[in-house]
Amino acid sequence: MTAYQDKLSAYLDGELPEEEAREIELALEDDPALQAELEELMAADTWAKDQFAAMASEPIPFKLATAIQDAKVAPPAPLETPKVQRTGWLVAAGLALALVAGGTGGYFVGASQDTQLASAPTWLQDIAEYHAVYAGQSRHLVEVPAEEKDHIEAWLTKTLGDAVAVPDLMAQGLEFQGARLLVAAGKPVAQLMYRDGENRIVALCQIQTATPRDGFGETTLGAFQMVSWGGGQSNFVIVGDEGRGDLSEIAKAASVQL
Amino acid sequence: MSTELKRQLITHLPRLRRFARSLTRSVPEADDLVQESCLRALSKAEQWDPAKPLDRWMFRIIRNLWISEIRKRNVRTGQGQVPAEETSELVTAETGETHVVLGELQGQIASLPSDLASVLLLVSVEGHSYAEAAELLDVPIGTVMSRIHRARKTLAAQLAEVAGETK
Repeated sequence: MTAYQDKLSAYLDGELPEEEAREIELALEDDPALQAELEELMAADTWAKDQFAAMASEPIPFKLATAIQDAKVAPPAPLETPKVQRTGWLVAAGLALALVAGGTGGYFVGASQDTQLASAPTWLQDIAEYHAVYAGQSRHLVEVPAEEKDHIEAWLTKTLGDAVAVPDLMAQGLEFQGARLLVAAGKPVAQLMYRDGENRIVALCQIQTATPRDGFGETTLGAFQMVSWGGGQSNFVIVGDEGRGDLSEIAKAASVQL
Repeated sequence: MSTELKRQLITHLPRLRRFARSLTRSVPEADDLVQESCLRALSKAEQWDPAKPLDRWMFRIIRNLWISEIRKRNVRTGQGQVPAEETSELVTAETGETHVVLGELQGQIASLPSDLASVLLLVSVEGHSYAEAAELLDVPIGTVMSRIHRARKTLAAQLAEVAGETK
């Protein structure tokens, strides 16, 4: 009987050869003690699964997520290096946005927004707080309103160290609202805000870089979708709600004007 | 490539942490292990094949780093870690400094020795076959079979104890 008992777990896991599994099944029919033991193992297994499931749904320490996200990668291929550096801020900005929205695909589950913000590094906190403001307020969406477009362009050009221009996206149904200055990865980021007919916000962010990216790239982070590209001495990204479907088109329309 | 890898690593963090905890039996140590493993993975991002499951690759990195850490500690303290086959009962919180943090792990899983917990996690929860678990943990299949059985038996005994207490 002991031989069967020792094989019960393997039987449960479907790891026994067919013949042995049959033997155990036959033994189980006539042996209430063996049956009870199998039930105990199954109960233990369910218990273990519940506990392991609880572990996986615990919030991830912000420190851990940002340590990975901010990791300096030194790949052997020289071409890889600038790619990582120039997109690092993008991931960071996306995380910050996702943080604000609270919809992060699971890895900040359980922590309140305030806790998340409080535990974020300063630069991330800055971005997140700016976005928290614009997400919740319609009147104070921007720092400098659209009417001062010329001033916005001059001010942000001077601050970023590369030309900042406000593209006209009316053909895409987006009305320019104004601009903000953010800081990400220790660098100034120009953020131009647009609003569509359904009151949804789309932001165009620009950061100066010596190695702008080639071509367009699409990313979904949390509840946000991003389309990025490079040009001149800058990288750009269009950020909007996930599932908009028109961000690539908006990005292309913006890119030809920049 | 590295940016995509970072994103995927962050997405996988809950499961990576869980696996690391099954090895370290301590939350802070597991987080340190996961962080170090992710940095290690990023440093050899060129070896990453996006077509293959990231979790298996990471589980192996985590496990190898942990073994190496254990070895270093053994050199420092002159104490070997006893394989689960040679221990009879649960790890208790009084046995040493490294176990003080056990209380931070949730539930009775925390009291399983790591050799048993990691096998149980890989097979029962992560859905790996005995052969896959054996490969990931670098132990014979027979060891996986006996460890998972012992893990369940140990938990079953605890369940019975809990049931007895509440009667």
